[in-house]
Amino acid sequence: MFTRRDFLRQGLLPVFSGSSVPAVFANGVYAAAADSPNAARSDRILVLVQLAGGNDGLNTVIPFQDGAYHDARPTIRQETGVLPLSPTLGLHPNLKFLKQSFDQGRLAIVQGVGYPNPNLSHFASMAIWESASVRGGIGEGWLGRYLAYLDQVGESPNHALEGVSAGPLVAPELRSSAPVTTLTSLRAFQLQPVGEHGTAVDAENPLMRFYGAFKANAPAPYGALLDTTLQEALRASHALQATDRSYQAKATYPAQSPIASSLKLVAETIVSGQGVRVAHVTLGGFDNHAREKAVHDRLLQDLDQALSAFMQDLQGQGVADRVLVMTWSEFGRRVNENGSAGTDHGTAAPMFLLGAPASGGLYGETPSLQSLDNGNLKFTTDFRSVYATVLQDYLQAPASDLLGGNFETLPLLKT
Amino acid sequence: MDVPAGPTAPSPPIAPLWRRPLARRTALAAGAAGAAGLALAALWRSGDLTHALEHVQDLTHGDSQPFTSQRVKVAHLLRRAGFGATAAELDRYAAMGASAATAAVLAYQTTSNAALEAQLPAVDPTGLARGAASASKLQSWWLQRMVGTARPLEEKMTLFWHGLLTSGLDKAGPGQLYVQNQLFRTHALGNFDDLLKAVSKDPAMMVYLDTETNRVGRPNENYARELMELFTTGIGHYTEDDVRESARAFTGWTLGRGNVRASLQSTFKPRLHDPGVKTFMGRSGAFNGDDIVDVLVPLRATAERLCTRLFTFFAYPNPERAIVQHLADTFQQKRYNVGAVVKEILGMDAFYAPKAYRAMPKSPAEYVAQMIRGLGHSGPAGLPAAAAALAQMGQVLFYPPNVAGWPGASSWINSSALLTRLNFANSVAGLASTGAAGKTLDQMLATFVDSNVTASTRSGLEQLASTHGNDPSTLLYFVLATPEYQLN
Repeated sequence: MFTRRDFLRQGLLPVFSGSSVPAVFANGVYAAAADSPNAARSDRILVLVQLAGGNDGLNTVIPFQDGAYHDARPTIRQETGVLPLSPTLGLHPNLKFLKQSFDQGRLAIVQGVGYPNPNLSHFASMAIWESASVRGGIGEGWLGRYLAYLDQVGESPNHALEGVSAGPLVAPELRSSAPVTTLTSLRAFQLQPVGEHGTAVDAENPLMRFYGAFKANAPAPYGALLDTTLQEALRASHALQATDRSYQAKATYPAQSPIASSLKLVAETIVSGQGVRVAHVTLGGFDNHAREKAVHDRLLQDLDQALSAFMQDLQGQGVADRVLVMTWSEFGRRVNENGSAGTDHGTAAPMFLLGAPASGGLYGETPSLQSLDNGNLKFTTDFRSVYATVLQDYLQAPASDLLGGNFETLPLLKT
Repeated sequence: MDVPAGPTAPSPPIAPLWRRPLARRTALAAGAAGAAGLALAALWRSGDLTHALEHVQDLTHGDSQPFTSQRVKVAHLLRRAGFGATAAELDRYAAMGASAATAAVLAYQTTSNAALEAQLPAVDPTGLARGAASASKLQSWWLQRMVGTARPLEEKMTLFWHGLLTSGLDKAGPGQLYVQNQLFRTHALGNFDDLLKAVSKDPAMMVYLDTETNRVGRPNENYARELMELFTTGIGHYTEDDVRESARAFTGWTLGRGNVRASLQSTFKPRLHDPGVKTFMGRSGAFNGDDIVDVLVPLRATAERLCTRLFTFFAYPNPERAIVQHLADTFQQKRYNVGAVVKEILGMDAFYAPKAYRAMPKSPAEYVAQMIRGLGHSGPAGLPAAAAALAQMGQVLFYPPNVAGWPGASSWINSSALLTRLNFANSVAGLASTGAAGKTLDQMLATFVDSNVTASTRSGLEQLASTHGNDPSTLLYFVLATPEYQLN
């Protein structure tokens, strides 16, 4: 029969396209990995926060002592209230929780993250980050490959909630031959009873039969996709319904904040104990070509407050020491502001790694504001080095196989 | 609120029964939690699985010859070129035959939409304040058009343009999006260059892609870049210099000094325009925005990209090279007329090829509108809840995830979205009159799935019919929940 993996192999979602057939799927490698005595690794969770639209890195981690910064941004520069990280660098004034985390050694900031020959298209650059391939391309996401690896080495016992994407679409970096669950609400994540007035009708068995028969008879790829999706949805739903539903947030999440709601949903899913390994949430709105300051100030405040509640909640739930949060964005923005008090598409920007597993501090070289490439920063750290570090040192997965190459790792984590 | 006693309580076919879902559905949707909020949060997602699907050359289909009758052909036509049909509509179009039905669908300007217009709530774009209430009002209004229109292709093209020439409530005002939506309706099958010139000055677009801030000496690249990357040639046919130079050409249009998100009218102010010489795609001149459109639209890359997109929207993904070439030729020979291309597509054998049958998932808009329309509802009741459910399935009307629009295709099928679809079918089946779809299993299958389901599904449904014969809503649920119905 047609499994999701078959579906992928048909070329619909090429797994490891190109020449790099991953050793991950060679017996030796995953056997070795499975043998490694590391009970703790199965408890480790990575939460990805996508800052969508291209976050202005220069107004996030600010070179506030550099005259060139102030010259380049006469209207959108942060003149006061920058939260100092070093004699020359400071966080945006609204990143108060992140500053506190930095001071407590729980925030690693990697500066100048990018890749060679930067692409200024949102979509091309997102695809590059999501696939961890500078050719961009299609197929599994880099964390989707990690999920497939877990599946291969037998670490997906529930086969349902290892990968969680908040919202009604699968985040591309989670796209996988292994199951990925999209969640908008735990309560709504179940098949509603059929039939009225107490004459409940079993819906699941007939539907499983219909979808299975359709898969066997009908149009690939959707017959297969519908069938596997139904099976995975019901499996995940059963798992969630069977868990302790007594989750009470141990923090007050900001109201009217989609990113806070998403993070709360992730916290609840983690606390349900269904073996979440990676989760993805998105905060959009960073494509600030015009009137940037007010919008960006608010976005960073939203981010900071949502992360603050999330980390406090995790602490209260007793799971904070096994959750690492990582932010990314498809690019930073142009050094010089444009004529609309905004910024156009740029290149390198900082990444945050937040949480108890992070080894706090500033990493990488601060990009120069003097030596630019067409008005854009030259990257100083390849994003795949950050990915490799997270995969290898935190998730303890074979980074070079999953990334299709060897990338230097950085000392970003307490290990 | 009057609540009929039982699931089979006889009822007039429209408002009362359909209104009843509101309370219960709204409650469920609220349980579906932060629902709209989280859906709205799904910004800036790329979805290149679509591209992956587009690379599949040969989809293997179990149906070697699905188009067994005129009725199945017109049902396919109305799913693709519209938002489905009632049993009565299928009968009427089938009696005309597929080619006459296609001609009627294309010549919609001769069809009166007065009945719909009379039912639609008045929308005053100047009176729409920003916020969830206006969003819901707009979404319900559009959904009602999809459900009730007598000109299905006009509405379908409006959705096509909304997904290509995107603007969204995250930046533009609701009144502006209403105006833009009407613009898409006006230009639905018109000339692409006319549409692009109008869109370049459309207030929603000017806010969404920042042209309203673009002025001489202070160019803003946003619109110029997306015009080329997403609306016309696609990536690889222009340089960063072309982006910068064409941004200068689009200067001069303004939304005034007040609240730009409330402005429904753009004006050209010569003093804001950069009159200088621009060098764009190897040509130099004192170009304005219209000139840039006139350079881009005739390019072969534009023709091929738009035609591929149209064919994929109507027929199946990854069209054969010869099809794209033929359509691009048509587009160029007919002075960039989109109607001519759509007419070609709907008239092609390929449109009725086995591989076109159920070749893609119903988008949430198609799924929801087809279900409601198929059941014979046409009033506004229940539509706000339906629009909210649509958001839970991943498609917030007037709020595409980013400037590239909805990734579509397989991205619509994921665990949360599928459960939402099934639960939506459940609530609709439980609350709607089945009158228009028929009360027997055969009638339901004929209306919703071309009487074409697997043998196993048919026998399973027959079993259910024999045990729940007195409960057509349960049977209807299982028909709407079939995998066959999830596809278009």
